[in-house]
Amino acid sequence: MTEVTILVENINPTLKVAHISGQLDESNVDEKIQGIYKALENAPKGLSMIFDMQGLDYMNSKSIGYLTDLYGKITELGGKVAICSAKPNILDILQVVGLTQLMQNYESIDAAKAAMPTATTPVVEPAPVAQPATTPVVEPAPVAQPATTPVVEPAPAPVTPADPSQVTSDGAYKFES
Amino acid sequence: MEDNTKTKITITLPTNAYFMSGIRDFTLNMIKNTTNFEEKWAFRFQSVVDELCNNAIEYGSSPGSEIRITFMYAKDDYLEIDVEDTGTGKNRMKAAELQKLFDERREPAYQFTGIRGRGLVKIIGEWSDEIKFEDRAEGGLRVSVKKFLKDPRFKSGLPQKAETIVLNS
Repeated sequence: MTEVTILVENINPTLKVAHISGQLDESNVDEKIQGIYKALENAPKGLSMIFDMQGLDYMNSKSIGYLTDLYGKITELGGKVAICSAKPNILDILQVVGLTQLMQNYESIDAAKAAMPTATTPVVEPAPVAQPATTPVVEPAPVAQPATTPVVEPAPAPVTPADPSQVTSDGAYKFES
Repeated sequence: MEDNTKTKITITLPTNAYFMSGIRDFTLNMIKNTTNFEEKWAFRFQSVVDELCNNAIEYGSSPGSEIRITFMYAKDDYLEIDVEDTGTGKNRMKAAELQKLFDERREPAYQFTGIRGRGLVKIIGEWSDEIKFEDRAEGGLRVSVKKFLKDPRFKSGLPQKAETIVLNS
């Protein structure tokens, strides 16, 4: 099995960051992606997620299918999804399948965090348990030709950072090969 | 080696996705080091080869069987990649069926709704200049893709030249 690590970090009650590193391919994606679905179990409505792809070297079409499915589940419950720090080859493949039309890419994790809704009062109502691919996700029309250079979205205007008291250091799920 | 202008490399591997990491590394390095395609295309073809092989492993060749990958580089002209399966897989398809599926999914109105199915059209199709599906006489399928280096009909795979600014003193 190819090496991949997915670590889900709780930033605040309504924001999680999935740090993905290594290579997501046919040999590991079905198993490893469950870490993200598990982190979404009992998530409050409005939960947002950032996919930190700084350490990701490769992803195949099935990984993209899972990302699309996760996007559908999170946005269906009122959350936002963003990507950050993706390498040029990862951004290229995300562009060719049209995923960058759904999810914004940010240069850094800080820029992505700043673009996410600010944590206010935690919503207590839990979301239904997430399961892969139960609801179809309608994708945008295919992109005819990807940009020759990665598109880096400008960093959004700073917003109020999350209350440090709401940041939890526990509750992270680590999945390693 | 066929002649001075064509390089042909064939790799046969067991029907197991475990080996694909090594094939991806090989593809990336081979294109970077032995062709004139720009680096971006080395990464793109890494994905194309991976998707072609995953399809052959999943549909065309049964476990314990094998798939065959052939790289053919015609210097300064094109790169062709063929992936063959044995047709022993329980989900095997005929070339005509796969062509039909490819054509349907290539329609702009087609919407991908599940986890799978994007590789053939959105990656292999988008990053190739030509794609061909053939039934092999021995059984199984051969899928061939071709990318031209500088055929004017297609977007060039050559590195884009930096604009030169001449300053007069």
